[in-house]
Amino acid sequence: MPKSKKEIIAIDSISKIYHLGNNVVKALDDVSISIYENDFISIMGPSGSGKSTLMNIIGCLDVPTKGVYKFNNELISDMNDSQLANIRNEKIGFVFQTFNLLPKLTSLQNVEVPLIYSSLGRKERLQRSEEALSIVGLSDRMTHKPNELSGGQRQRVAIARALANKPSIILADEPTGNLDSKSGVEILNFFDELHKAGNTLIIVTHEESVAKRAKRRVELFDGKIVIDE
Amino acid sequence: MNSLFKNILIGLAAVRANLTRVILTSLGLTIGIFTVSIVTAGVSSIDKEFDKSMEYYGNDKIYVGTWPWSFDFDWWQYRNRPKISEDSLEYITKYSTYISDVSIKKNTWTRGSFGNKASWLQLNGVYPGYDEMLSGTKIVNGRFFSQNEWDLQRRVVIVGGTVRDGFFDGEDPIGKKIRLNNVTFEVIGELKKQGMGMVPGGTLDNLVIMPSSTFSRILTRWGFDELVLKTKPEDMSKAKEEVGMIMRLARKLKPDQDDNFSVNSADAYQDQFDAIKIAIAGMGFLVTGISLVVSAIGIMNVMFVSVRERTREIGLRKAMGATSNNILIQFLSEAVAISIIGGSTGIILVKLITMALSAFSPLPIDFDILLIFYTFMICVFIGVSAGMVPARTAANLNPIDALRHE
Ligand SMILES: Nc1ncnc2c1ncn2[C@@H]1O[C@H](COP(=O)(O)OP(=O)(O)OP(=O)(O)O)[C@@H](O)[C@H]1O
Ligand SMILES: [Mg+2]
Repeated sequence: MPKSKKEIIAIDSISKIYHLGNNVVKALDDVSISIYENDFISIMGPSGSGKSTLMNIIGCLDVPTKGVYKFNNELISDMNDSQLANIRNEKIGFVFQTFNLLPKLTSLQNVEVPLIYSSLGRKERLQRSEEALSIVGLSDRMTHKPNELSGGQRQRVAIARALANKPSIILADEPTGNLDSKSGVEILNFFDELHKAGNTLIIVTHEESVAKRAKRRVELFDGKIVIDE
Repeated sequence: MNSLFKNILIGLAAVRANLTRVILTSLGLTIGIFTVSIVTAGVSSIDKEFDKSMEYYGNDKIYVGTWPWSFDFDWWQYRNRPKISEDSLEYITKYSTYISDVSIKKNTWTRGSFGNKASWLQLNGVYPGYDEMLSGTKIVNGRFFSQNEWDLQRRVVIVGGTVRDGFFDGEDPIGKKIRLNNVTFEVIGELKKQGMGMVPGGTLDNLVIMPSSTFSRILTRWGFDELVLKTKPEDMSKAKEEVGMIMRLARKLKPDQDDNFSVNSADAYQDQFDAIKIAIAGMGFLVTGISLVVSAIGIMNVMFVSVRERTREIGLRKAMGATSNNILIQFLSEAVAISIIGGSTGIILVKLITMALSAFSPLPIDFDILLIFYTFMICVFIGVSAGMVPARTAANLNPIDALRHE
């Protein structure tokens, strides 16, 4: 990695351990990773290897059982609720593996959710949401509710939502998993553009073609990083 | 401020989405607000009626009678007391330092008629000059009877407002002849209308006053006599004490004998009335309090359900940048909205009932902006206190756990 780039995420020996009865599950086991500005990382690994767990921790949605996480050189564990909310809102766009769209809201309203917690005015929120939906090719599905959309369309709404607030870091947990190859490619092309524009991307994927686009490849196995190149 | 408003809107959207549930939940508060308004209005209107009655008896009048003025007197205990007699008045005028004016007041009820109209009337037989001792009313038309008319036992009467309206359809009653107990009387004066009061008969206006001399000659029926004594309001307690002693003297009671008369005044009613008022208000507020607590519990319960149902939504909103406070406000608004819906329904119900009631009775219910304001405050308070625990639960959820919630 070119050292000239700014380290925005510094993860040092973190573990995430679940106790289920007598069973101890180490979802993450002593993981360390540094992520720099404008990185384009793919995270691969078998199912259950801890990819989503790592993404959740990076996205400040979950806290590690052990270890240190610094975001922009600041300890996450020292941050208060509104500082964390601010990072989730402004700095990071998260695409969930399971989409997590709100069923009673339209596509447009779903995309607007992160903007509601920003300081944007109503008109600007609407305009940004429409813009984000048109980027993912869903301009004609703005008033549809999630149950009126196909799986691939839902995934694209989830991506639009992650982009809406123009975060510099995008965390996507299998963003093309439900897309046909054509729209998958479109989304990936768009990710390329984001990368060129200076954004930082971290994408969990099972597909070699997706991983190839990334500039850095991380592989997890049994909660440990086995490859980082 | 802007962010507060946005989160309130999100909370309100949830209310709209579950309107049936919200209305059912808020019903308890509707009942609570309804009872508290009715009780408050009831107590204040009883108060007004009572004040009017107090005016009727006057704060400068002492009434010496056979029985004490009490809502719970033991009738038999006073049954054998001697009747009040005019003879005692001589003692009072002679010895009293506080009493400035005296009269007998003979009371009875009889059927009165004018043409084909008839009604039960309260009759008072009094001394000339009693018009000076009237309280809460006065002669507004015609005149009082004179000493001469009293001496000659003339059949002249002064009538109250109801008699005028009932018998003469609002026409000038002066000079008209009415019949009381089958004797013809001439109306010479008319009293100002006083309205309803908490006195026997319910109204202060179906009253007929005549010379006590005439009364004694013609109406020797059942009834009772009282002495009416006028003093200054500030001398009331001393005057009552003095009158008590003079009465003992007049009745020639020995020191070891109990009073066989009662010295009454309006303020004796006041204490008893206050006790009744407190009892009514206490009961009302107890019922209200219970229904408010029950409805608060209902709202709390529904809010817990709402938080449970929307756990994933909470997780998502937090993941998208909602702070704990944003979530707190969202759910508090929902709770407050539920309770305001309940409260407003209660207020509307009260308004409808008072409108319906005012068509039938003059019962005054104070329905004003202040009542709306208090209701609003109560609703906000109940909403916030009932919603606080569920809203905090929601606000403190960890985003990823909430998102995983099934
Ligand atoms: N809340 C939890 N309680 C208990 N165990 C958990 C919990 N969340 C995750 N795990 C366990 O942690 C491990 C890693 O899970 P994770 O979701 O990170 O896998 P993943 O690599 O994203 O898999 P996939 O490719 O299937 O999405 C799994 O074995 C899972 O069972
Ligand atoms: Mg996963």
